[in-house]
Amino acid sequence: MTKSIISGGVYLPTLRIKRDEYLSALGSCSAAMREKTVMDIDEDVITMAVAAARDALADLDVSRVGVLTLASTNFPYQEKALAGTLVEALGLDKHVLTSQHGNSTIAGTEALLAALGLLEQTEQQYALVVVSDAPTSGPDVDMEHGFGAAACAFVLAKDEPGLAFEGVYAQSGETMGLRYRLPGETDIRDIGVKAFATLDYNEMVKAAVTGLVSKLNRNLADYRHIVMHQADAKTAAALAKKMGCSDVQTKEGSVFADTGDIGACSSLLGLCRVLESAASGDCLLISSYGSGSGSQALSFRLQAPLKNSGSFQARLEDKKYIGYIQYLKQKRSI
Amino acid sequence: MESVAIIGAGQTKYGDFPGLGVKELFAEAYLEMLQSVDRGLEQQRIGAAYIGSLSAGSGFQLGQLAPLLMGHVGLPHVNAARIENACASGGYALYSAACAVASGKFDLVLAAGVEKMRDVSSSKGRYWLGVSGDTEYERLAGSTFAGIYALMAARYMHEYGLKREHLSMVAVKNHRHAVSNPKAQFRKEITIEQALKGVPVAHPFNVWDCSPTTDGAAVVLLCNAKIAKEFTDKPVYLKGFGAASDYLAIHDRDSMTRLLATRKAADEAYKQAGVGPKDIDFAEVHDCFTIAEILAYGDLGFAEEGRAQYLLEEGFTQLDGKLPVNASGGLKAKGHPIGATGCGMACEVFKQLRDEAKEPSRQIKNARYALSHNVGGSGGTAAVFIYQRGDA
Amino acid sequence: MGAHISIPMYQRAVPQRYRLVGQRCGACGKINFPPKAVCKYCYQGTSFEDVQLSGRGTVYSYTVIAGGGAPPEFAAEARCKGSYPVIIVELAEGPRVIAQMVNPPEEGIAIGMPVKAVFRKIYEEEGVIRYGFKFSPA
Ligand SMILES: [Zn+2]
Repeated sequence: MTKSIISGGVYLPTLRIKRDEYLSALGSCSAAMREKTVMDIDEDVITMAVAAARDALADLDVSRVGVLTLASTNFPYQEKALAGTLVEALGLDKHVLTSQHGNSTIAGTEALLAALGLLEQTEQQYALVVVSDAPTSGPDVDMEHGFGAAACAFVLAKDEPGLAFEGVYAQSGETMGLRYRLPGETDIRDIGVKAFATLDYNEMVKAAVTGLVSKLNRNLADYRHIVMHQADAKTAAALAKKMGCSDVQTKEGSVFADTGDIGACSSLLGLCRVLESAASGDCLLISSYGSGSGSQALSFRLQAPLKNSGSFQARLEDKKYIGYIQYLKQKRSI
Repeated sequence: MESVAIIGAGQTKYGDFPGLGVKELFAEAYLEMLQSVDRGLEQQRIGAAYIGSLSAGSGFQLGQLAPLLMGHVGLPHVNAARIENACASGGYALYSAACAVASGKFDLVLAAGVEKMRDVSSSKGRYWLGVSGDTEYERLAGSTFAGIYALMAARYMHEYGLKREHLSMVAVKNHRHAVSNPKAQFRKEITIEQALKGVPVAHPFNVWDCSPTTDGAAVVLLCNAKIAKEFTDKPVYLKGFGAASDYLAIHDRDSMTRLLATRKAADEAYKQAGVGPKDIDFAEVHDCFTIAEILAYGDLGFAEEGRAQYLLEEGFTQLDGKLPVNASGGLKAKGHPIGATGCGMACEVFKQLRDEAKEPSRQIKNARYALSHNVGGSGGTAAVFIYQRGDA
Repeated sequence: MGAHISIPMYQRAVPQRYRLVGQRCGACGKINFPPKAVCKYCYQGTSFEDVQLSGRGTVYSYTVIAGGGAPPEFAAEARCKGSYPVIIVELAEGPRVIAQMVNPPEEGIAIGMPVKAVFRKIYEEEGVIRYGFKFSPA
């Protein structure tokens, strides 16, 4: 059975804050995005998830969805799954198989892989993967400067032309990464040792990507687009360069400059962006990364244009800028 | 059906009374009512009492408010019940009392209303008010009562070219009327410029478009018209009384530029009284928000729907106009103690039709028929009454 | 203190609140929303078929609730935004419904402008997030 992504969906909150706002309010900004996405006061990862999923399902028969997987590092409940909220909001079949992934920014590709597996267990034709994230910290935490918000969704189908899944390779281990969060805490903690965290990122992602390429008997050069997990402006690009990727291969999948750090969504939103311009025959590689787990690299080949490649560009352009004071109000910091 | 007369009426001053609770307010109105019965009343002859209240004393006596109040004024054994239809609670108490007399079952029945609104935090106050709309939809859309009437105003403006100034004309008129009413909460004139520039509440409304929160009570004594002259030479006859409902949620109604509940209640009352809108000499109408008075002009037949604003431009409804509306100051300036409002209107009419408005400047002369109009919430309920002076 | 809608009561209305499920009257064919036990158009029909509404419609009327006048459970939202719009939407399928508007146009809301339903947090009570529909310019 071939499994392909046949449709994509995107949601970016309308509100944006420019890096310049941080500079004029605080004198500095620890993140090097141009601007970033900000949830409105009545938005959370679930409302974003519903919007992205509706975008992906726009022209499809929702009753044929048999699997729903969901990922975020910032679900609004510590106990109470949110899959049911999506089932109701989207009007999915009541017998849909669900799984929910969190705890680390690797959760996005985990959800995609889980959907590929669960698709074998349903008579239905489609699996829906929804990844929605908005990492959160108090405004006094430097890392917060880069935190954005976004959601993306994919419909996987059995034996239908689209973006065919080719394979996955993982590198797992006790990966401290840069961040973690304890039960009951709303703010992400930073281990504060950036160089160590970067080394960890580089080793894990490189091992997953090179392992995947070699497993599939390919070269990195065979990929039209290579999309990396982007927690800041430079680390991912620097590693890609080190691995021998060209700017052309990584440029289109970069989203950090426009959205900031969007956690589990990062490389998957990048995938949505490249899908808007990818041509039949293109090979695409994405790699995720998350503290405590490592990296997963996935390979795809575009066999036929998607039914719906999502509205990344439209969402990117639909925006309203806010100032830093309003930003703090949105986050209920004041 | 028996004919109904009003032989006594009393009310507290409307306003902010931190020293008075729901029992004290009620007692004050009740005792004033007793004073107003010209030849006195043997209290124990009262057969039944209907008492309108929304918050039942700021929520302190959610059950059985009526026996509590009756026990406080020496009528512990009277047949008493609380009536609740939000801002029309008082009007429905009056309607229920009128029906009880008309049925022939009782000769003397009390209609009353009481509200203690100024005892609670403003947040709790907004809670009480907001839950008389459709809680599941209107309230969860983040709307308030002002918001619901604002939606009607915006639609009226869109359909009929009503101007922001017309809304303010209602506020200015009613504030002017309240100046000489000793019972009114706000006895101060406002200018049109002030009325146009208040603090925003819900577009297009500012604070001058909204009635205040008010403490107050009103009590009216109804009797079988056959025995009215035992008590007074100047009874006021309740010639017609109508009440009707509509969908509670505004989005369920066909039109937002009329209140069907008012129209049906008015039809019933006019028909029973055998008079029409043109026979009415003055009216007390439910102006909880300025647009509400404009809607009432159309719904009560004083103007065609969509042309109510011209009555304001012509001064038709001013105290010296052809049809004075809200000579008392209305809910807007006399005050709006929710459950008391409907009965407070009857008190005003009773005084006016007996030429007892006290301050000569506000006495409406040569009036024969009057109308009062009380609305629950945004029009989920409405009651309309037509009165005739009885000394002629 | 806010308007009290119990968790079970809210949950029973989830199909309407989350995705605008209306009911088509078996007697007259018209669409009721929110649901009724007896059809509001023909006063006859008591059996209905669920229909998924499109969420598209136009503004029938609007207001903007000022910060100070918001109900207590919307006070935080009002504080954040200063004010927020509430509209009556005439849905493409016929019924009207009241809801908040998100992302109102800077030039102001106009009666007749097209809108579409979006899924948002409505408010929180008993620590439970109550999700539901609002409308955004279409
Ligand atoms: Zn029907």
